[in-house]
Amino acid sequence: MKILIKNATIVNPNKVFKASILIEKDRIVSLAQRIRTKADKEIDAEGKYLFPGFIDMHAHFRAPGREDEEDIFTGACAAVRGGYTAVCCMPNTNPAIDNEARVRWLIEEAQKDDLIDLFPAGAITKERAGRELTEFVALKQAGALLVTDDGSAIKDPLILRRALEYSKMAKILVAEHCEEHALTQNGSLREGFISSKYGIAAIPAIAESLVVARDVELARYLNARIHLMHISTVRSIEIIKRAKKDGVKVTCETCPHYFSLTVDDAEAAGFSGNFKVNPPLGDKKDIEAVKKALRDGVIDCISTDHAPHSPAEKELPFEEAPFGFVGLETAFAVSYTNLVKSKILDLKNLAQKMAYNPARVLGLENRGKIAKNFKADLVIVDLNRQFKVTEKTFASKSKNSPFLGRELYGAIETTIHNGRIVYSAGADE
Amino acid sequence: MAKNQATTALEAADIKRILYQLAREVIEKTPELETLVLLGIQTRGVYIARRIRKIIQDIEGVELPLGTLDITLYRDDLTTIGPSPLVKETKIDFDINGKVVILIDDVLFTGRTIRAALDEIMDFGRPKRVELLVLADRGHRELPIRADFTGKSLPTAEDEFVEVRLKEIDKKDEVIILKA
Amino acid sequence: MDAWNKKHILGIKELDRSEIETILSLAQSFKGISKRDVKKVPALRGKTIVNLFFENSTRTRTSFELAAKRLSADVLNFSASASSLNKGETIIDTIKTLEAYHPDIFVVRIGSSASLPVLAKYTKASFVNAGDGKNEHPTQALLDMFTVKEVFGTLEGLNILVVGDILHSRVARSDIFGFTKFGSPVTVCAPPTLVPYGFEEIGAAISYDLDEAIEKADVIIMLRVQKERQSSSFFPTLREYAHLFALTPERMKKAKKNVIVLHPSPVNWDEEICSSLKEKLHPLILKQAENGLAIRMAALFLVGTRKRTL
Repeated sequence: MKILIKNATIVNPNKVFKASILIEKDRIVSLAQRIRTKADKEIDAEGKYLFPGFIDMHAHFRAPGREDEEDIFTGACAAVRGGYTAVCCMPNTNPAIDNEARVRWLIEEAQKDDLIDLFPAGAITKERAGRELTEFVALKQAGALLVTDDGSAIKDPLILRRALEYSKMAKILVAEHCEEHALTQNGSLREGFISSKYGIAAIPAIAESLVVARDVELARYLNARIHLMHISTVRSIEIIKRAKKDGVKVTCETCPHYFSLTVDDAEAAGFSGNFKVNPPLGDKKDIEAVKKALRDGVIDCISTDHAPHSPAEKELPFEEAPFGFVGLETAFAVSYTNLVKSKILDLKNLAQKMAYNPARVLGLENRGKIAKNFKADLVIVDLNRQFKVTEKTFASKSKNSPFLGRELYGAIETTIHNGRIVYSAGADE
Repeated sequence: MAKNQATTALEAADIKRILYQLAREVIEKTPELETLVLLGIQTRGVYIARRIRKIIQDIEGVELPLGTLDITLYRDDLTTIGPSPLVKETKIDFDINGKVVILIDDVLFTGRTIRAALDEIMDFGRPKRVELLVLADRGHRELPIRADFTGKSLPTAEDEFVEVRLKEIDKKDEVIILKA
Repeated sequence: MDAWNKKHILGIKELDRSEIETILSLAQSFKGISKRDVKKVPALRGKTIVNLFFENSTRTRTSFELAAKRLSADVLNFSASASSLNKGETIIDTIKTLEAYHPDIFVVRIGSSASLPVLAKYTKASFVNAGDGKNEHPTQALLDMFTVKEVFGTLEGLNILVVGDILHSRVARSDIFGFTKFGSPVTVCAPPTLVPYGFEEIGAAISYDLDEAIEKADVIIMLRVQKERQSSSFFPTLREYAHLFALTPERMKKAKKNVIVLHPSPVNWDEEICSSLKEKLHPLILKQAENGLAIRMAALFLVGTRKRTL
């Protein structure tokens, strides 16, 4: 099927320009000022912006095990509604994704509707127990691009060492959820004045930076690649910045909430479970540091850490609620509103963080950029449309978002994957 | 070693004549020629043994079995000799039980080499008889060993060196006595 | 040929090329002795050789024992397991006790790497290393080189491929030192977790891809895989390890026609080498044992007849 998109403002990681594109089958076949070819479908994108389809390196699809919170189909729906055409789903399911059969099953499930490309992350250790490595080579062959025990850090540095060494041969990316669990037991809120004021069990900022420091040192020593997930603190960023300067092969990501929300927002919301996340929301200094790090390139990617939870679970006292919020549907809008509209990043940078860099880090070719012969994974956005976040915003089974009720700019209009329209705002509403 | 200290005890022609005579002696003294086997002691004893064998073949038309013997591992002075011994090939491809063994070496001196050779031969079997054939006997025995077939007796002082040169490896045939 | 003046044979590291050549050429002569009716020479008659094995090894120990006996030496076997000895002090006590018998040579196998020089201080005897921890197993490397030379006629310019757990292997280290001394480039092939840190400096190339590395190998040395390594997370499963590093008929097809395969034995057929290759590969591996005896005779002979005037 041929699709022609006219008059769009194309946002590439290196350039923003007006053009038209022609899609045939699953590729972009033509990119020019004017395209005269007849197409089966024409989209007039005048006044709209065309981004490469976003790539999320970090989302939780809860299958197998908690299909009540999310399944592959609804997760994919949430993704395309947010303009995402590729997702790495995390392995902390029940059972964990620690073998190739489960990786293949997830990929086949996603291929049924083909809304997105699913790249399941494999676990680093069997059952994520932190003791025995999984078969990295087999996982890679099955389609996993990264391994992580996300949800937990690797507690034993020897195991992490082996994982980093082994990953060199397996050519799979080791990603770490940085948390010193001994320091965060029972904690729910960032340690600081507010947690002390209310007597809420706290999570110190160094719980993240301690492990960031450890992991960066190991990667340096072994000359190995490592990817650090959901970076949120001032010190973590400083450590990563220094390491990058020294040539350590570290990449990292942050999430929209770490440059838009603080612990004060949690307080203001009466400690609604919708504001509970791990790593926890920080303070203004953290937000400034994250924004600056995005601008300077210290942080490579924006991921969502999309974490669906059933209402029953989130409508609990803060200390009892589970960690995490949904975010696939709102990631772009939150990012655009908080970064581009406030002139921290320009559109090109945003495209880098959300599409191009994730593609590069994951080793995906022909993605992350709008160019001839690249994959037709695209998203059309209306940057000027403001909208209010409501439960209807979410295609996910869960609606646990701290952005409910907020006004954001940057609505997703159309998402195209493999040259097919997989989401259209008009069709939904 | 100054050249003018060397005397030629045997020249090529002498060696040729001596070997011929030795071969004839062996034939005459050994009625059971078919029970005869030759064993040359490494290194120059082997070349001499080969020559003797050829001469006997020319005279009698019989090619005698030939073995080589390296006696290094049977020496009695292994821990006190100079450079590490290069152990050459010991090859006896035939049965020596009941055979008459002609043990062949270039120079008979203290007799210790022959003693070692005898011990080694005994590890290969039980010959009927062992007889010793040498190109030159320079005396100064330290063991009760004597040759059955002697090419030439060379009186020497104990501290002199007797060098046997054979054209197979030394480019010419001669026997030199060198003063210390 | 240069005089042999080393009191000990501790490792290939300490041997120069001419010393190795001396051992190899002597071994050639000793090989013939095993084919004789009387498989004995009196070269080390009256010498006392103690097999001091702190780690169990029937193969190596019997090989050294037989080598000593074929040289007419007297052999004393002393085996001690780690549990019956406290480490360190009592090992020295053992040496001191045995020293009372005025042994000429200790053949030592011990679990601690690079520990022989310390032990040597307590005795006048010579040491021949039968394997010290993960450091060296010189007679194994020497017999490997001997075997290679028998087949190829030379030790120079051959591509040597060592496959397996390099990190824990004294055989690998000794082989690498040996072959590189003769100008034969060595490649080690293992998962990154089993390649020692900074190993590039040792002079070997490192590959993680056996299918690629096997193509230019003239000699493949397969090391045994120890299952305990899985539980220490050096590799996730034996299955994945074998999938990547075992010698299979398919992999052998990619190798040179004249490639030879060596193994320090015992071989775990169907772990590091597919059992369908047994018929083709086992004969040379068995020959290694025959050559090992000759090498050990050469080693004991050189060390046992060393000039004492020094």
